[in-house]
Amino acid sequence: MSAETQQAAGVIHDLGYRSYDGKRLGRKSIIAALTWHSFRSAFGFGRSAKAKIVPVIALVGLCLPAIVSAFAMSRGNPRLVDYDTYVPVLRDLLMTIFVAVQAPELVSRDIRSHVLPLYFSRPIKPVDYPLAKYLGFTAACLVMMEVPLLALYAGSIANVHGGAQVWAQTRALIPGLLVGLMWAVVLAAISLFIASMTGRRAFATGAVAIFFLLTYTLAEILLQVESPPDVSKVVPGGPGAPPGAVHIVQGAPAVIPLAEKVSGLFSPFTLFDGVRMWLGATDTGDNVPKVGGFGAIYAVILLIALGACLAGLAARYRKATLS
Amino acid sequence: MDPSSRSQAVIETDALTKVYPGPSGGVTALGGLTVRVAPGVTGLIGANGAGKSTLIKVLLGLVEPTQGTAKVLGHDSVTGGEQIRQVVGYMPEHDCLPPDVSATEFVTHMGRMSGLPATVARERAAEALRHTGLHEERYRQIGTYSTGMKQRVKLAQALAGDPRLLLLDEPTNGLDPAGRNAMLELIARIGEEFGIPIVVASHLLGEIERICDNLVAIEAGRLLRADTIDSFTKASQTLLVEVEEGRDALARELGKRGLTARPYQRALLISIASDGDGDDDRTFDAVRDSVAVLGLPLSRLEQRRHQVEELFRDDDQLEAADVR
Repeated sequence: MSAETQQAAGVIHDLGYRSYDGKRLGRKSIIAALTWHSFRSAFGFGRSAKAKIVPVIALVGLCLPAIVSAFAMSRGNPRLVDYDTYVPVLRDLLMTIFVAVQAPELVSRDIRSHVLPLYFSRPIKPVDYPLAKYLGFTAACLVMMEVPLLALYAGSIANVHGGAQVWAQTRALIPGLLVGLMWAVVLAAISLFIASMTGRRAFATGAVAIFFLLTYTLAEILLQVESPPDVSKVVPGGPGAPPGAVHIVQGAPAVIPLAEKVSGLFSPFTLFDGVRMWLGATDTGDNVPKVGGFGAIYAVILLIALGACLAGLAARYRKATLS
Repeated sequence: MDPSSRSQAVIETDALTKVYPGPSGGVTALGGLTVRVAPGVTGLIGANGAGKSTLIKVLLGLVEPTQGTAKVLGHDSVTGGEQIRQVVGYMPEHDCLPPDVSATEFVTHMGRMSGLPATVARERAAEALRHTGLHEERYRQIGTYSTGMKQRVKLAQALAGDPRLLLLDEPTNGLDPAGRNAMLELIARIGEEFGIPIVVASHLLGEIERICDNLVAIEAGRLLRADTIDSFTKASQTLLVEVEEGRDALARELGKRGLTARPYQRALLISIASDGDGDDDRTFDAVRDSVAVLGLPLSRLEQRRHQVEELFRDDDQLEAADVR
């Protein structure tokens, strides 16, 4: 380069160009790198401190009950929360906030800043992009779900004595971890699918939050409305009523009405509870659907929702556009 | 075209056709484009809608041609898309940068996406940013950059993957004259000193011709002309002659001397004839003599460089000669 052009180019320093003849990684490694990048982004790593606020607060909030429980157990109390349900309303709320804020962080900002053409010009297939985002975000949701459970477990085994008790805690933990996996897999799919619809982060966050809160509220309202009245107050038959019109008699187990069995189908969170019940959980909280014989339907609906969201997400990125 | 030069081509298309489905037969974006791009800096000239973007998509293996084939660095665009994208650096026309990450972070990430191992990606990102003159500012968030700096980041991310071919789509978009010059300087330097073949897509011939070795002009999805820069600009140069009165008389006089003059606003446009041995003076002499013979008040005489749109739409003669 002549001195002249160096002058004209100003800030360009001529230290020569070196080309790279080493190994180039294939598609799988690139997907893995993008998955790791997405996982990090879900917690705001590689971004400003501001981006870390929500994930940190949500994770700390989710861990607090485990810490309180450990503290209580050290004072001789039993474990405060279960592994499989953990703290239902708190977990619903904090996970909703986490996915509503972080799913747009993963997909909407790439749409907003038109960075997708750069991914499509890389040696991957268009569908690899949503795949990596999904894997990364599922892993992030898994951290949010399982870290509090592991904290709870650690706090519990620190306060119990004897192998049998440790084993009992471990046996109780495993279904909890599986429930966490179910949550992570489904929540990541739904929230990424909704967020991938728009490049405006505020809209995406709003849409994800509204979806989860609205469906949750709807399901809970239906649950409360359709719960059978207090069994002891039901008087069998009225004068002139056909025999057998009212099945519920004092002392007998309540027959679950159809409406209540299906009322939990409308929200991901009640679907999780329904599947959990179907798989044999014994917890029957006030806001848990009584699935009766409908348990399998809960599982099927959940799988359909998962499949639909993943297919929708893949379709969203099927066409590789450069603008 | 002899076989040895054929093997050197970085891009080769053969009757490349792309029809986007739609009503009434769809839209033909590429209509049988056959072109061969040699190493060096090549300008891909075409007006908006000429088919440049579709061609780039086909070359990157992102769109399957309806007919015909395209080869990039020896890889078929349909079967070898991933191999092509591994060794081609692409700089999009439009803004494509996230505002809230640093240039280093971003270029490193895009290097990894090109298949570089993590440490190599970090090194190469630093180098690419140095080569594009962003070394000092590399830790700043991209959102704080000027338009010129953003264009350099776009170029740096294309360079990070150590490409064997660069596809730059309107690299001077949105830049002021000084920024354009600096960007063109940089592209020329990458082409010459780094030895990377470059295709620069642009709708401004006048702007990129000075850094190009070869030019490929397309219109309506067809090849208008592909040639070296010298023969291209020679043939495409025109002379604008403005006289204060007697324009039509001058046109007749020039006609007698074998020159075709077309009215253009208040002036005349004359193609500068080139007889192949570099003797262009004939045209200038004829104009000078004509004006002198008629005694007309000459107010303007300038050699014009065209925007490609103007060049190919107006110059019927050239178009007729070059559409093959």
